[in-house]
Amino acid sequence: MLSGRPEEFGDEELVISAQQGERQAFEVLVERYNQKAYRIAFDFTRDREEAKDLSQEAFLQAFSHLKGFDRRASFYTWFYRILVNLCLDYRRRKAKIGWESLDEKTEKGDGFEKIPHPGPLPDQQAMRRQISQRIGAALETLPPKQRAVFLLKNHQGLSISEIATVMKAAEGTIKVHLHRAVMALRQRLAELS
Amino acid sequence: MVMTPDRGLGACKEFEQDLVLYHYQECSGGEQQKVESHLESCAACRRFLAELKNFLPATVTTDEPSREFWQSYSREIRAKLAEKEAETGWQWLASFFRPWPVPAIATAMILALAVTLTFTNGRWPLDSQEKPEVLEMAADADFFESIDFLDSMDLLEAVEGKEAQTGEATPQHL
Repeated sequence: MLSGRPEEFGDEELVISAQQGERQAFEVLVERYNQKAYRIAFDFTRDREEAKDLSQEAFLQAFSHLKGFDRRASFYTWFYRILVNLCLDYRRRKAKIGWESLDEKTEKGDGFEKIPHPGPLPDQQAMRRQISQRIGAALETLPPKQRAVFLLKNHQGLSISEIATVMKAAEGTIKVHLHRAVMALRQRLAELS
Repeated sequence: MVMTPDRGLGACKEFEQDLVLYHYQECSGGEQQKVESHLESCAACRRFLAELKNFLPATVTTDEPSREFWQSYSREIRAKLAEKEAETGWQWLASFFRPWPVPAIATAMILALAVTLTFTNGRWPLDSQEKPEVLEMAADADFFESIDFLDSMDLLEAVEGKEAQTGEATPQHL
């Protein structure tokens, strides 16, 4: 039982408490990491509602399996793995369903209108938005693993070894995926421009 | 202004992957030196690296939802967690009624019965040294009846003796 303000406790104490059945302790962990989790999910989905659903699902899965968490890794590392796996599953599901054509997506904007783009001048704003749309469209064309590696490296700033751990792959494989993703993205952007 | 990659210009093939890793600062000491010395003499690779530095950070798109979004997020996740907790409790209870525990419990009970009967030579319940009190009383019922009879005889004799002393005849004797 935690005595005092739960927000002041470290992750490990909160995890122990939550493992003993205190849901409130887990809720503090959710409050602590929900924004990070949302951003990761948003990188993969590029959709606000889907990012919310995915990140919440990751918290629910973590809550369900908390008793099996042996605390050898930090809570965030363990949770991160759950989240990234969910994001990868999401990509696989989406890939199965089949994507709309790239041109159609580019025309529609694919939800990028929701994203605020800073910039004082309307011309610059429009240009940035157009580039962002192109980048989004180019990212969509990457195979799921290349895309995941690219997002974890370029957007989340994970090291190659961390990505290898999360994706349960050899570091050499991760380097190859990253290289291919960057080259494909570069090629795709060049074509779109 | 974000520079879009030029399709025609590329790096030396053998340095391409190393340049990507160099951009992300993922080269080991030896690799880094190799890339840096190559960059000094190769304009195409320098251009390629500059291009990476320009366009890769631009691919990061962030979303900053409003405070209302986060409030609703917290409310939703709390409700879902409470629901999950309740669901987990019921699942634990329901786990006893799942198909596998039923035959397992039945087998355990049959085994326990078999072991018990084996070690008690089929006598169940076990013979007790102490017989129930009610059985003892039933066995001695005749004895108690004869005691009662003798008491009645004594009483009759006492009455008859008393009558003989007073010289009165009882109606029974008349």
